[in-house]
Amino acid sequence: MSITSDILRGHTEAIILSNLLEQDSYGYQINKDIMRRTNNTYELKEATLYSAFRRLEQAGCIKTYWGDETVGARRRYYSITEEGRKAYQGYKQEWQEAKEIIDQLLK
Amino acid sequence: MKEKITQHFNKVFAGAPRTRKALDLKQEMVQSALDKYDDMVADGYSQEDAYQNVIESIGDVTELFNMVEEERVFLLPEKDRQRRALLISFAVGLYLLAAAALFFFSSINEIPGFLHIDYNAFAIVPTILLCIPPTMMIVYALNRYPKYTRLEKAAKAGLLVQCKNPEGYSGREKLFIKYVQSIIWTIAVLLFIITTFTTGRIEITWVIFLIAACVQKIVGLGIELKAEEGNKEG
Repeated sequence: MSITSDILRGHTEAIILSNLLEQDSYGYQINKDIMRRTNNTYELKEATLYSAFRRLEQAGCIKTYWGDETVGARRRYYSITEEGRKAYQGYKQEWQEAKEIIDQLLK
Repeated sequence: MKEKITQHFNKVFAGAPRTRKALDLKQEMVQSALDKYDDMVADGYSQEDAYQNVIESIGDVTELFNMVEEERVFLLPEKDRQRRALLISFAVGLYLLAAAALFFFSSINEIPGFLHIDYNAFAIVPTILLCIPPTMMIVYALNRYPKYTRLEKAAKAGLLVQCKNPEGYSGREKLFIKYVQSIIWTIAVLLFIITTFTTGRIEITWVIFLIAACVQKIVGLGIELKAEEGNKEG
């Protein structure tokens, strides 16, 4: 359980990027998505999630804008940049390699 | 209960840097927490359980706060900035009133049925009296609501290495402000010289500098408001 939490936390950026590949989204929506895809087992702490957003933004991997909801909540949306897509591919490859190595070592 | 969530964030963010980024972050996190709360209540959780869950899922914000530190520090909460602006605009209004009083008293010779004194000679007295409150207001406003925090001052003096690109005025805006200011003061000096030589009444003509100062403030305010609007849109 805690290994999974740690790994999830360590890959917050990659998870966010993967989530933004198809469409723009906002913080809570992304967290909800993580919960849905892990059968309500895991979610990220807000602080972890928003730190990752800031890091990605600083690295130029994502861009942000305020939504134009006319009623009620004003949400901050994130969209992936070309650089972000490249970073995502890099992450994914690294993860593939790491996974294989761990599998090898734990046999 | 929602009010309680917002209050909790107010407490958490009391230790955050006073920057626009931090304000944005707070707004974003509060909205996210409220969304989650609504969803949980809709899913049948009790209000208390939903509240607890939302608060627990915030996590440790220390690292986050370091990330939203920046050079252009928003000195003051919105409310205080409004008060500051209000105080200064009132002060400018009073200065204008003082100038009007000077013109008034130096233009009349006698008020029928009233004290027979030389109003021209005493014109300066009500003017100075009228100048006292606005001066006090400005001094108070500048001290109580400083425009910059120490952090920004230090950054301006180049003491902070972390300072990257300040998000203040752009180079073009700065240049524009500089030009406008020098134009205002040049015109003021010219007007002063011309009117003093033609009328010979230096006791009135010095008011031109007061007016110039007012105009400068008003123009500055206009530019600042416009820049802020631009930032919001951008």
